[in-house]
Amino acid sequence: MSTLPASAPDKNQLPVLQQIVSVMWPSFLTASLATIIFFTLFDPAELGMIGGFPDLTRMGGYTIGFFCFWLLTSISCALTCYFRRPMNRRTPDTHSNEA
Amino acid sequence: MSQPAANKNDASIEQELYKKREKIYPREVHGIFAALRLLAMGALLGIYYGLPWINWDGHQAVLFDLPARKFHIFGLTFWPQDFFYLSMLLIIAAIALFMFTALAGRLWCGYACPQTVWTEIYMWIEQKIEGGSKKQKKRDKGPRDASYFVVKGTKHGAWLLFSLWTGFTFVGYFTPIQELWTSFLSWNLGPWETFWIFFYGFATYGNAGFMREQVCIYMCPYARFQSAMFDHDTLVISYDEKRGNPRGSRKRGTPSANVGLGDCIDCGLCVQVCPVGIDIRDGLQYQCIGCAACIDVCDDVMDKMGYPRGLVKYTTENSLQGKPTKIIRPRIWVYISILSIVSAGLMYGLLTRIPLEVDIIRDRNVLYTETDMGLVQNVYNLKLINMDAQPQRFRLSVSGLEGLQVIGQTEGIEIDSGAVIDLPLRIEIDPIALKSTSSEIMFHIESEITPDLSIDEHARFLGPVSR
Repeated sequence: MSTLPASAPDKNQLPVLQQIVSVMWPSFLTASLATIIFFTLFDPAELGMIGGFPDLTRMGGYTIGFFCFWLLTSISCALTCYFRRPMNRRTPDTHSNEA
Repeated sequence: MSQPAANKNDASIEQELYKKREKIYPREVHGIFAALRLLAMGALLGIYYGLPWINWDGHQAVLFDLPARKFHIFGLTFWPQDFFYLSMLLIIAAIALFMFTALAGRLWCGYACPQTVWTEIYMWIEQKIEGGSKKQKKRDKGPRDASYFVVKGTKHGAWLLFSLWTGFTFVGYFTPIQELWTSFLSWNLGPWETFWIFFYGFATYGNAGFMREQVCIYMCPYARFQSAMFDHDTLVISYDEKRGNPRGSRKRGTPSANVGLGDCIDCGLCVQVCPVGIDIRDGLQYQCIGCAACIDVCDDVMDKMGYPRGLVKYTTENSLQGKPTKIIRPRIWVYISILSIVSAGLMYGLLTRIPLEVDIIRDRNVLYTETDMGLVQNVYNLKLINMDAQPQRFRLSVSGLEGLQVIGQTEGIEIDSGAVIDLPLRIEIDPIALKSTSSEIMFHIESEITPDLSIDEHARFLGPVSR
């Protein structure tokens, strides 16, 4: 059991960089879509007025809106990525060896 | 013979690419498809960098004016209310993509995708500065001396400048590019513009300079699902295994039969030119972007050997298996008919588009009032948007109830291009004419300048029912 190093690469595990990309990239795409649809319906300048940022320019509104969407969508992608990892069946303390 | 080795490589590539990517040094290639690719690249980059500088009727021809919330596309002006047309356009683009994929595989990837086009131009810059693929490889393996840093520095400098220009052009589609250029020269750009120039420029630099084929392999959703649109009659780039195998080298001009080999001389050039680093002879692979560089280079070799061309060519799975193949098949006709119906719909919509939007808002505080004269009065607020490219003057009339009177401006209502005005109106009527507590009335608004420009809008008139 100790012959198996803790950092043995899991064959089902994606490489780290690919994991990052699989979180950041789909969330980027969906955030772009959300930004387009949201700001087609709502004018950022008017939203700024209501929200108490009267000095907000439209360009600023679009930019902030896009990054907020990206943050949200990347959180949901990251959670998906996290939850699809298999649950650890044994706790580190038990020395039962299944492999 | 070389197959097992290649397969082993595949597995290791799968594991390693993201950890430590082996840089691919594609060899330069000349031929029909290379010329086509160059043509597509020139045209697309020309459009991208040139279009924002073209003027039309005194304004930028193509401007997605986000700060003003309107899109100018040549003579047309689109508003957020016209989102419908944009979605139609996207549907058309998607169906066209499906059709071309069913027809000839990844045509989009090989010739038109921005990722491919920018990667090509970045590789071209790289080759102009660093030399061909062999020189590049040698330099990367060689010592890190002064000349190494000079060459690499020059390349990255050129890439960065090009990226900056790309980012600038990108922002120029959203804010007027002439003004942007003026403020760029005087170093007076707004914070958001600056941010987006660098953001897009950096993305281009990273994607076209470093990520390259990895974007297609790991990031592109289309690359993953495009195979669903393939069938046995789809044109794909394929190596003719029956004709090529067994592979082996031989003297130039030796007929294959004499040496007991297939036509493939195993020169490996098809692998060397591949921008995604695969061996087309291993069959159709998901990494292949369909750039056809291997066709060009192999045809060249076949010419030199005196063999017929087309050992690697665009062909269908059916014809490779010796079955009859039909390229223009029902599936393609279905795509073509959907495409023509949606396009015709879009054209019709655009041609009959009324560049005037009217919102009628009833005064919500009071249902109706009665005047001293005994008339019933309703108050409306009209919101008129002139979506035309020119200033307009409108007149207004209301119908639907007998003897109604409009109090307020009904003629010579002037609205600038792209402007919104609020028009308060009161409508009065003798309660005898009212047949129910809520009657339908119709606002008719027409242009005093453009003959066919008019719009009808329904509204409700509330009042007491007379007995």
